[in-house]
Amino acid sequence: MHDTRDPAELLAAAAGGDQDAWDQLVSRFGPRMWAVARSCGLGESDAADVVQGAWLRLLERLHAIREPAAVGAWLATTTRREALQLLRKTPHSVAAEPPAAPDPASAVLEADGNRLLWQTVSTLHEPCRTMLRLVATDLGSRQMAQRLGVPIGSVGPTRARCLEKLRTLISLQETVQ
Amino acid sequence: MINDEYFLAALRLAAGSDPIPGHVSAAARDVFRLRVPSAITAVPAECTATRGVRGPEGPHMVRFVAAGLTFDLEVTFGDGLIDVAGQVCPTPGDGTLVDVRTPHLTLSRRLAPTGHFAVTGLPPGWLSVVCHRPGNAPVQTRWVRIRP
Repeated sequence: MHDTRDPAELLAAAAGGDQDAWDQLVSRFGPRMWAVARSCGLGESDAADVVQGAWLRLLERLHAIREPAAVGAWLATTTRREALQLLRKTPHSVAAEPPAAPDPASAVLEADGNRLLWQTVSTLHEPCRTMLRLVATDLGSRQMAQRLGVPIGSVGPTRARCLEKLRTLISLQETVQ
Repeated sequence: MINDEYFLAALRLAAGSDPIPGHVSAAARDVFRLRVPSAITAVPAECTATRGVRGPEGPHMVRFVAAGLTFDLEVTFGDGLIDVAGQVCPTPGDGTLVDVRTPHLTLSRRLAPTGHFAVTGLPPGWLSVVCHRPGNAPVQTRWVRIRP
């Protein structure tokens, strides 16, 4: 049966020892944590390590999350921090302080933000519209260059330019709202 | 300022081309059994006594502090596994147990009168130590990732 409890209720129940509530948190927020870890450039093994680490951080702080309703954003932020820590190749990641509050930018991962994102992508001109769809499918630079009909050397700069355009449009929409 | 990683993650999530593997979700669910009710969490602290003493190939030193207790952990790598030699100060007293935990394996030791304990042959990865003192709340260290 689908659990209708909101994130704050699930967090409180998990803090009280409710494994089902914890499993629900995993089901709801695990996929976006995985996407964040992979978007930081981690391979599958490292991404799995980082996601597990973010869950361990939550376990340490079950009673200490400042905004329980935003636990999903907190988990995404923690995953990104752990990923960046791992990429620095430190022998032990003890310095990765769990965030006191989530990054506001992680709101783009919420369901509504996701819809807004794709609507915005569809308003972009080419090659950005195709580029951002290809970015999401994990194509390598060579394949991406072939699909876009551009030199391989221009893939990185084009990607950066398209993300910048998307960032600007999303920011403008957020300002209007 | 919106971080590119969140943007890319949202795009990847919507594309559905790289779903979270089942074993990653299973590992996340399993994490819950590592919960220690009512535990106090010891946080990392500067370990000045050993800084700069060991070379990059030597043991890793990690210190955690909470509730008047200090955990000093010395982690050594060998044959792809890790050994942990630790000390809890001040010595909590008779009957104190220490659990050295990884997500896959927990090894329990009775604390020596000097506060020392040691375990060998743990898999590399996430590690935490819990000190169970009779009559007091348990103290757990923050999880730390140990890699060769």
